[in-house]
Amino acid sequence: MERPREVEVENNNNNPSSSASALIGGGVRQQWPTIDGPLGLSESDSLWYARNFFIFGFFLLPLLWGVNCYLFWPVLRRSTSFPHLRPYIVRSAIAFSVFTAILGSWAITFIVGGERLFGHTWDELVMYNVADKYGLTGWI
Amino acid sequence: MAQNPKPRSIIESLGEEIVRIITPVSICMFSVVILVSILNNSESSSASITSVATIAYSEDSSDSFWDKFEGALLNSLVFVAVVTVVTFILVLLFYLRCTSFLKYYMGFSAFLVLGFMGGEIGLFLNQYFSVPVDCVTFLLVLFNFTVVGVLAVFMSKMAIFVTQGYLVVIGMLVAYWFTLLPEWTTWMLLVAMSLYDLAAVLLPGGPLRLLVELAMARDEDIPALVYEARPVLASDLSPRENVIPRRLWREPRSGDSTLNENMTTRSNVVPNVNAVSRLESSQTVGSIVNAEEGQGSRGISELTAPLIEHRINVQMHLAQQAVETENLVLEGIGLGSSGAIKLGLGDFIFYSVLVGRAAMYDFMTVYACYLAIIAGLGITLVLLAFYQKALPALPVSVLLGVLFYLLTRLLLEVFVVQCSVNLIMF
Repeated sequence: MERPREVEVENNNNNPSSSASALIGGGVRQQWPTIDGPLGLSESDSLWYARNFFIFGFFLLPLLWGVNCYLFWPVLRRSTSFPHLRPYIVRSAIAFSVFTAILGSWAITFIVGGERLFGHTWDELVMYNVADKYGLTGWI
Repeated sequence: MAQNPKPRSIIESLGEEIVRIITPVSICMFSVVILVSILNNSESSSASITSVATIAYSEDSSDSFWDKFEGALLNSLVFVAVVTVVTFILVLLFYLRCTSFLKYYMGFSAFLVLGFMGGEIGLFLNQYFSVPVDCVTFLLVLFNFTVVGVLAVFMSKMAIFVTQGYLVVIGMLVAYWFTLLPEWTTWMLLVAMSLYDLAAVLLPGGPLRLLVELAMARDEDIPALVYEARPVLASDLSPRENVIPRRLWREPRSGDSTLNENMTTRSNVVPNVNAVSRLESSQTVGSIVNAEEGQGSRGISELTAPLIEHRINVQMHLAQQAVETENLVLEGIGLGSSGAIKLGLGDFIFYSVLVGRAAMYDFMTVYACYLAIIAGLGITLVLLAFYQKALPALPVSVLLGVLFYLLTRLLLEVFVVQCSVNLIMF
């Protein structure tokens, strides 16, 4: 059933309004790119979201990459679908895992290394001391 | 040939919808209880915060009963007055079609809540558990969390789970902040807000009622923080060429016209292709929670960060059986969508404040108040189905909750303690 699906995808990309008649006529199940299925975005709307989430993730926002992957999980799972969306989602997934690996290894090094590794700068970097130094908890 | 699927029973559809709204309310209350029981043990109860809710009178534990009562009454009256004024301003802005300003303000307040209050509570937890996280990681995680939260609140087409999760977190943070107020003030505030809610929704001149009617007349969304439960779809739903709209608010329908209007499509503000809304009774009422953060004890001039969260109160609609069978008939064509129960974020906040305050006394009051609130929520739903009118969600639950708190604290606790001490009942 590959071809009808591709036709339907093409239809969706080119002319969303005609997809209705194409679907009813063909009786093909429409693929939903988002995890919410029929409650989420349609294919034509998704491109904007996928691309912008990917781009803005570079502003020190790896969680956006993660949300991108979560939101478009069906795109990730099915490797042959949604040719316009898939590059962004795959790149988001790769970037998210790389960033998480880097941040995680730094955090674990910090926790495990402690003062043996860092010396006195450990005390200067750890969050509860920073909070005390700058009085960050006095707002409430 | 596909068989006709068995129509979902009302237990599956209606019960599922109710469960989908009670679950997040319970999660919010539970997390506030946990936060309160962890964080409020070490602090002394006399550490008071200066905010708009305590400008009239700041409670001192050595005052007499009547002093505290009058002071709390004064505080809550001031608070309700401020909320009324702000709600009227909101109605005015909505009337003048400044919806983009309202949306930006909503995003800004979400940023403040998630960034500052979330950060502070994160710091408290860090200090309490001595978590050895470094400041780079912490700030990065906080920054990410905040920005994604603001996006989730802003954008209508984010993943449903992410949006719901962030709304619950926002409710939890604001509710925790409210539990830092003095005790008498908190209880009087709860009662006053539920009475205000009652008046604002049901009286003809009430601001919330005006807001609802305006939004209805224009068929627009009210820019507000509203928790929307995931709509219950029939399980056999396959080809559906239209995206099911997730509008925050829909028009109310009455009785017979519901069936005909199922087939109508209309385009609306939210970028959906075709909006087919099946709506039984959706009524919106909103009120505004206004909170200001201040630095009282430090002597620094008050850092007022006005944080206004507009929330829509009971915006619920129940699935009616007749409409549902009509939808099943329409399944083959792929039209029809299910409504979902929506609950305003202010309801989350005040329910959680009640339970959080009860947690500051003992867990027995927590259980009693939780049951009271859920029962009140159920009663409100029943009343809504019965009256088919705009109804506020706060009064029944909060007043029941306060009543149960007082009864538990005064009567039940003595009884249970005596039973436990004498080994009759644990």
